[in-house]
Amino acid sequence: MTTSVLLLAAIGAPLALLLACMVPGLRKRMPLLLALAPIPALVAALLADDTPVVLGNAQFALSFAMDEPGAMLLLVAAILWIAAGAYAATGLRGTVNAGSFVVCWLMTLTGCVGVFLAADLVGFYFLLAVLSVGASGLVLQGGTAEALRASAVYLGLALIAEAFLLAGLVMLAMATPDGSLLIRDAAAAIPASPWRDLTLMLLVVGLGMKAGLVPLHFWMPLAYGAAPIPAAAVMSGAVVKASALALIRFLPFDIALPDFGLPLTTIGLFGAFYGVVIGIMQSQPKIVLAYSSVSQMGFLVAVIGMGLANGDASATQAASFYAAHHLLAKGALFLAVGVIATTGRRRLWLMLLPAAILALAIGGLPLTGGALAKLAVKPVLGEGLVELLATLSAIGTTLLMLHFLHRLAASAAPDPSASAPWGIALPWLLMFVAALVVPWTLYLVTGIGTWADVLQPAILWAALWPILIGAGLALGLWRWGRYLPRVPEGDIVVVGQPAMRVIVQWGDALEQMEGVLRQWPVAGLSLLTLILILGGVMFNGH
Amino acid sequence: MPHSLSTQDVTTPGGLLLVLAVLVPFVGVLAGMVLGSRSAQRVALAILATGLAIAIAIADALVRSGDAVVYILGGWTPPLGIALRADGLAVIMLLAVAVVISGIGVYARADFGTPQGVREARAPLMFWLLLLAVWGSLNLVFVSGDLFTLYVALELLTFAGVPLVSLSGQPETLRSALRYLLYALFGSVLYLLGAVLLYGAYGTLDIMLLAVRVHPEPVTWAAAALMTVGLLAKTALFPLHLWLPPAHAGAPAAASAVLSGLVIKGSWFLAVRLWLDVFAGVVTLPSAQTLATLGAAAILVGNIVALRQVRLKLLIAYSTVAQIGYLFLMFPLAAGLAAAQLDSATAVNGGLLQAISHATAKAAMFMAAGLIYTTLGHDRIADLRGAARALPMTLVAFALGGASLIGLPPSGGFLAKWLLVSAAIMTAQWWWALVMFVGGLLTSAYVFIVVVRAMAPAPEGWTPKACVPYYQQVAVLALALCSFLLGMAVFCPVDVAQIGRAVVPGIGWP
Amino acid sequence: MNTPTLFGLCAAALVGFGLYGLIIHPQPLRKILAFNLIGSGVFLLFGAIARRGAAVGMGGDPVPQALLITGIVVAFSATALAVALVLRLFDEAGSVTLASDASAKAQADLPDA
Repeated sequence: MTTSVLLLAAIGAPLALLLACMVPGLRKRMPLLLALAPIPALVAALLADDTPVVLGNAQFALSFAMDEPGAMLLLVAAILWIAAGAYAATGLRGTVNAGSFVVCWLMTLTGCVGVFLAADLVGFYFLLAVLSVGASGLVLQGGTAEALRASAVYLGLALIAEAFLLAGLVMLAMATPDGSLLIRDAAAAIPASPWRDLTLMLLVVGLGMKAGLVPLHFWMPLAYGAAPIPAAAVMSGAVVKASALALIRFLPFDIALPDFGLPLTTIGLFGAFYGVVIGIMQSQPKIVLAYSSVSQMGFLVAVIGMGLANGDASATQAASFYAAHHLLAKGALFLAVGVIATTGRRRLWLMLLPAAILALAIGGLPLTGGALAKLAVKPVLGEGLVELLATLSAIGTTLLMLHFLHRLAASAAPDPSASAPWGIALPWLLMFVAALVVPWTLYLVTGIGTWADVLQPAILWAALWPILIGAGLALGLWRWGRYLPRVPEGDIVVVGQPAMRVIVQWGDALEQMEGVLRQWPVAGLSLLTLILILGGVMFNGH
Repeated sequence: MPHSLSTQDVTTPGGLLLVLAVLVPFVGVLAGMVLGSRSAQRVALAILATGLAIAIAIADALVRSGDAVVYILGGWTPPLGIALRADGLAVIMLLAVAVVISGIGVYARADFGTPQGVREARAPLMFWLLLLAVWGSLNLVFVSGDLFTLYVALELLTFAGVPLVSLSGQPETLRSALRYLLYALFGSVLYLLGAVLLYGAYGTLDIMLLAVRVHPEPVTWAAAALMTVGLLAKTALFPLHLWLPPAHAGAPAAASAVLSGLVIKGSWFLAVRLWLDVFAGVVTLPSAQTLATLGAAAILVGNIVALRQVRLKLLIAYSTVAQIGYLFLMFPLAAGLAAAQLDSATAVNGGLLQAISHATAKAAMFMAAGLIYTTLGHDRIADLRGAARALPMTLVAFALGGASLIGLPPSGGFLAKWLLVSAAIMTAQWWWALVMFVGGLLTSAYVFIVVVRAMAPAPEGWTPKACVPYYQQVAVLALALCSFLLGMAVFCPVDVAQIGRAVVPGIGWP
Repeated sequence: MNTPTLFGLCAAALVGFGLYGLIIHPQPLRKILAFNLIGSGVFLLFGAIARRGAAVGMGGDPVPQALLITGIVVAFSATALAVALVLRLFDEAGSVTLASDASAKAQADLPDA
C-alpha cells in the first residue's frame, strides 16, 4: 500500500506540476518548485519495496514497480534533478521565457521518473516518448540557431530510435505468453520467442541509438553543447541512463548470447575510445564533457554486452552501479561548467578542486566512486582482451578529463573577483558531495563489495597507474595539443549536409512527379488503370 | 457462407434512433433554409446537441444488446425493402463524427455568425446548412445496409462537401470545387456501374444478402474493382488525390476541418464495408496488398510533399493525403489475419482507430491553422513567429494533434499503430510496419518545424491582427485532446467495434 | 443477338465515349456532358438488366426501375450543381478552366478565407 502511494507520488508530483503549468499564474511561480518536484521520487527510491502498482483493468493495465537497478538509478537521478532544479531556478529568475523552460523541464522529469519505474511495455514506451519530447524541448531552450538544429537532430534520432523500439516491443508483446505486457515477463520470454534475433536486434539498435553508441552518437555533443547548463546536466546524467536501464531490463541475462553480446561489447568499446579521441580535439568544456559521455556510455554498453555474452546475471547490478556513478559525476561536472564560467581567478581553486576530483573519479581515481564503479564491473568484463581494453579506456578517460579540466580553468570569468551566485554554487557543491558519498553508500549497502575489497593495496595500485599514465599523456597534450586537427562538434554529422542536399533533390523530383500526377488527364488515366490492375489482380488470384 | 453476420430482419430496440440520426440533421437543413441565416445557426447548434445525444443513445443501445442495432424501413424486409443497420464499426463512426461535428460547430460560431444588422448572409447560411447536410449524409453512409442507398448517401455527401470548398466564392476556390465535384462524380459513376453489375448478377443490393450470394467470378471482380476504385477517387487515395490539396487548403478553416476530417471518411468507410462484409470471399490477399501499396505510396509522397509546403494549410492538406494512406494499410492485414484463421479484429480496430484519431486530430489542426491565420493575417510557415505567444492553447492543440498523427502514446494514432504493427508481424507482412514508421518520422519532421517556428518570439512591438474568441481555442484544444487521449480506449472493457460483427475467421479468404 | 445484349453493348459504348470525353476534354462543360454520357450508359445497362430479370408476366424487374429513377435524379442534381459552379466561375473569373493552376505555386498564393 505504502509502496503504491510512494510510486504514484514519484510520478504524480512532476506530472501534477506539469498540468498546473496550464494556469498562467501558477506557471510564473513554478521555477521555485523545480527543486521540490523530484523529492517524492527520492523518497520512493529510498523506501519503496518491489510490490508493483497496477492501474487499469483486466484487459489492459499500466504497471509500475521498483527493482534494484531502478531504485539505484532513481535515487541518484532524483538527487541530480533536485540540484539541477535549484540551479535552473536561479538561472530562470527574471527571464522572459521561463514558462516554456519549466514545461519542458517538468515533462522531461515526468518521463525520466516514469521510465525508471515503468514495469510494462506500453507505459515504458509512452514515458520514453514523453522523455524524448521533453528533452528535445529542453535543448531548444538554448535559444540559438544551433540549439534549434541540435533539438531537431535529437528529436529526429529519438523518434527513429523509438520506431525501432516500438517494432521490438510489439514483437516482445506478441511472444509473451498470456498476453502479459510486463517487461519482466517479456524479457523472460525472449529466449523462446520465434523472432528472438530480430527482437533483440531491434531493441539493441533502438536503445543503442538513445544511449549514444557510435556512429549514432552525434546528437550528444550537439544537444549537450546547445542546451542550457542545468538541462545538459540532467540530460547527460539522468535522461541518457533511461536507455541503459532499459537495456538492463529488457535483455535476457540468464542465457549466454555471445552472438549479440560480443558485437555489442565491440561497438561499446569502440565508442569508448572514439569519444576520447574526438573529445581531446574539442575546446569547449561542455563539448568535451559530451564526448566523455559518448565514451562512458560506450563503456557501459560494453559491460552490458559482456553480461549478455556470458549470460552473467550479476551484470545488471554492476552496470546499474556504474551508470549511477556516471550519472552523479557527469551531472555535477556539467553544473561545474556553469559555476566556473561565473567565477573569477581569485576563488577559482575553491570550485576547480572539487571539479578536478570528480573529473578524475570518472577516470577511476582510487577511493572515489569511479574506482568503485570500475571495480564493480571488473568481474563482468572478465580477463583477457576486454580487460586490457577497459584499462586502456581508463587511461583515455583520464586524459580526456584532464583536458576538460584544462579547458574548464580557461573558461573562468574574466573579472578576477567575480564569484558564482550561491544559487548555482550550492547545488554544484551538493552534487559534489553526493557524487563522493552516494556511490560509497550504494556500494556497501547493496553488497557489491566491502571496505576490505577496496582498500587492498593491489586494487588501489591497479586503479592508480592508469591515472598516472593518463596524466602523463595529458602533459603531452598540453605541450603538443595545438597540432591536433580541430573536429567540429558532432563530428560525423557534417557528412549529413551533402546527404541532405541529395535528399532535397529527390524531394524536388518527387514533388514534380506529384504535380504531374495531379493533372486531370493523368489522374483520369490512373483511375482507369487502377480498375484494370485491381480487377486483374483479383482475376489472377483465383 | 463467408459470414455469420447476425441476420436479424426485425427492428431492434433503439432501431428508430438510426432513422433519427439520419433524419434530424436533414430536418435541420430544411428548417434552417426556411428560417434564414441567423436562425440557421441556432437551429444547427440545437441539432448538434440533439444529434450528439442520439449518437450516444445508439451506442448505449448497441452495448446494452450486444448486437447490431437494426431498423427495417416500413416493415419491408430486404431484398424488397431497405434496412438501416448499425454494427460496432458504424456506431463508433457515428459517435466520432458527432463529436467532431460538435467541436467544429462550436468553433464556427465565430467565423460564420451572421453580423449584427444584417438579416441574411449567404456564406453563414450555406455553411450551417451544409454542415448539417454533411452530417446527415455521413450518418446515412454509416447505417445504410444497401449499396444503392449508400450510393445516394455518398452523392449527398459530395453535394454537401463541394460547396463548402467554395464558400468564399473566389475564382480559385470555385475552380477547386469544380474539380472536386467532377472527379468525385467520375468516381461515383464507376461505383454505380459496379453496383448495377452486382444487381445484374445476384439480384440484390442488400449487403447481408450479397455477402451470402457473391462468389468469385469475373463479373464480381469487375464490380469489386469498379466500386473500389470509384470509392478511392472519392477518398483521394494517392494517386487519385488531384482534387484534395487545393480543395482542402482553399476552404475556410471550419469547412476544411469538415472536409479533411470527416467527408473523406465516408467513402473510406464504404470501401471497408465492401471489402470486409460484401466481397470478403471474393477479394484476394494480393488485391488487398495492391490497395495498401497505394496507401504506402500515399504515406511517403504525401508526407514528403507536405514537408516542402510553404503554407500551413497546404501542409495540413498534404498531411491528409498521407494519412489517407494509413487507412488503407488495414486491408492486407485484415486479409492476412483472416487467411491465417486468426481474428481480424486487430487490424480492423487499428484501421478504425486510425480513422477516428485522424478525424479528430486533423479537424483540430485545420481549425488551429485557421486561428493562426486570423491572428497573424497569413499562414506562411517560415513566418509563424509570435503565434505561440498569442495563441498558446492553440499551439498546444496543434502539437497534440500532430503527436497523434505521428503516433506518440497515448494518442489514438499510437494505439492504431500498435494494433496495425502487431497485425503486420502476425501476418509476416513487416514491410507495412516499416512504412508506418517512416511515415511517422516524416510526420514528426513537419510537426516539429511548425511548432518550433510558431514558438519563436515575436518581433518587438508586434501585436496580433485580430483577437480570436476564447471558446474557439477551447474547441480546438478539446478536439485535439480527444485525439491525443484516444489511446485510452484500450482501457475500455468491451471491444465495441466488433459488436454485431461475428465474423467467422478464415472462411472466404483464400 | 437478343435485345438485352444489344442494349448492353450500347451502354458499354456510351460509357466508353463518356470516359474518353471526361478524361481528354479540358473544358468543364464538356466534362459535365461526358459525365452524363457515362451516366446514361449505366442507366441503360440497368434498364437492360431489369428487362432480362423480368419475372413471368411483368415487363421488367421493378426494383431497378425504382432505383433508375432515383439515379437519374441524382445525376440531374449533380449536373445542376456542376453547371451552377461553372456559371459562377465564369462570372468571377471571366473564363472557365480547370487546369490554369496545375503548378502548386499558384495554389500557394491562393487567398483563403
